[in-house]
Amino acid sequence: MHAVVTESLEEYLAGELEPAARREVDSHLGACRVCRQEVAGMRDVSRLFGSLQSGEKLAPGPGFYAGVMRQVDARKPVPLFAGLFNLNLAFGRRLAFTSLMTLAVLGSYLAAREAHYPEGPSPEAVMAQESSPAFDTASAHDQMLVTLAAYER
Amino acid sequence: MGSVSAALPLPGFGARIAAKSRVDYENTPEGALVRRVQSGDEPAFREVVERYQSKVFSIIHGIVRRRNDVEDIAQQVFAKVFLSIGSFDFRSSLITWIYKITVNECFDYLRKRKVRKLVYESDLSEDEARRVENIEPQVNRQDPADASLARRDYVLKLLSRVSEEERMLLILKEVEGYSVEELAERIGMNENTIKVKLFRARQKLVKAAQRLDRAPGAVTG
Repeated sequence: MHAVVTESLEEYLAGELEPAARREVDSHLGACRVCRQEVAGMRDVSRLFGSLQSGEKLAPGPGFYAGVMRQVDARKPVPLFAGLFNLNLAFGRRLAFTSLMTLAVLGSYLAAREAHYPEGPSPEAVMAQESSPAFDTASAHDQMLVTLAAYER
Repeated sequence: MGSVSAALPLPGFGARIAAKSRVDYENTPEGALVRRVQSGDEPAFREVVERYQSKVFSIIHGIVRRRNDVEDIAQQVFAKVFLSIGSFDFRSSLITWIYKITVNECFDYLRKRKVRKLVYESDLSEDEARRVENIEPQVNRQDPADASLARRDYVLKLLSRVSEEERMLLILKEVEGYSVEELAERIGMNENTIKVKLFRARQKLVKAAQRLDRAPGAVTG
């Protein structure tokens, strides 16, 4: 759409354009098919809006405000965790802190117990032992067969 | 249609109109009222409801046209106003902000009603659905009231295809009859911006109307 139309489009559609400006727009629309079609489409749609005007004057009922406040109460967000247990925020924070501390103490106790397990030879040491010339492969083989037989049973 | 304007940076806008300074809504009596509501003053909220309820009723009735539902929707609107007034930032007037909530609530209601109808119809057998169709009131295009209802449905369909902001601007301009200058003042934007937004919204409506008219069984009112 050309500037001569876009500049005064709202006033033109509302029929509020000064006669001289209106003549200028009309004369452009007479000559420019693209602008003419676009403005015609916009005017058609603009006319439809009249159907959204409410002819009646509706008044709210006597319990209207009470109904609004009921809606407010129904929509008020309930704090999930604190609301469930009816706890205040400070107590909730203390509870969370205590739980974390208990978890930390239990964790460190378990870690300390793990450290006392007897340690066997490392995998590197076992592999080095097997590859040494003094390693008795026959007895190791027998030992493995005994273990497998015991497992089968 | 729209190809020329889509290619050009809308040269017509801004040639004549100088940008206006914003209205300072925070320092008006209405701003003081909003501050009271924001601080949890319930009588102040009641004053807001009493001041704007008739406007809200009229907007809802214009869009929804079901008298029984108007009050319910209005209550939902004011409940939203109460719960979100904390986020009101005084960039627009209070009524413009309430207007936006009202229009959105109406379109939500229409969308839900449409979904309910679709779910209900999907549960019916073909015979039952045909029977329900026959029970529903037939639109008599010769009757001015029916023609107006058909036009209303058509324009609501078109409005559902633009953004919330464009929808509100178009309704304020076309239904409430605000001038570009008044819109700029109430929404807190300059007039050029309002003109560009309205122009783009109108272009979208025209395109949506063309698509709807091409669709089979279209009603153009």
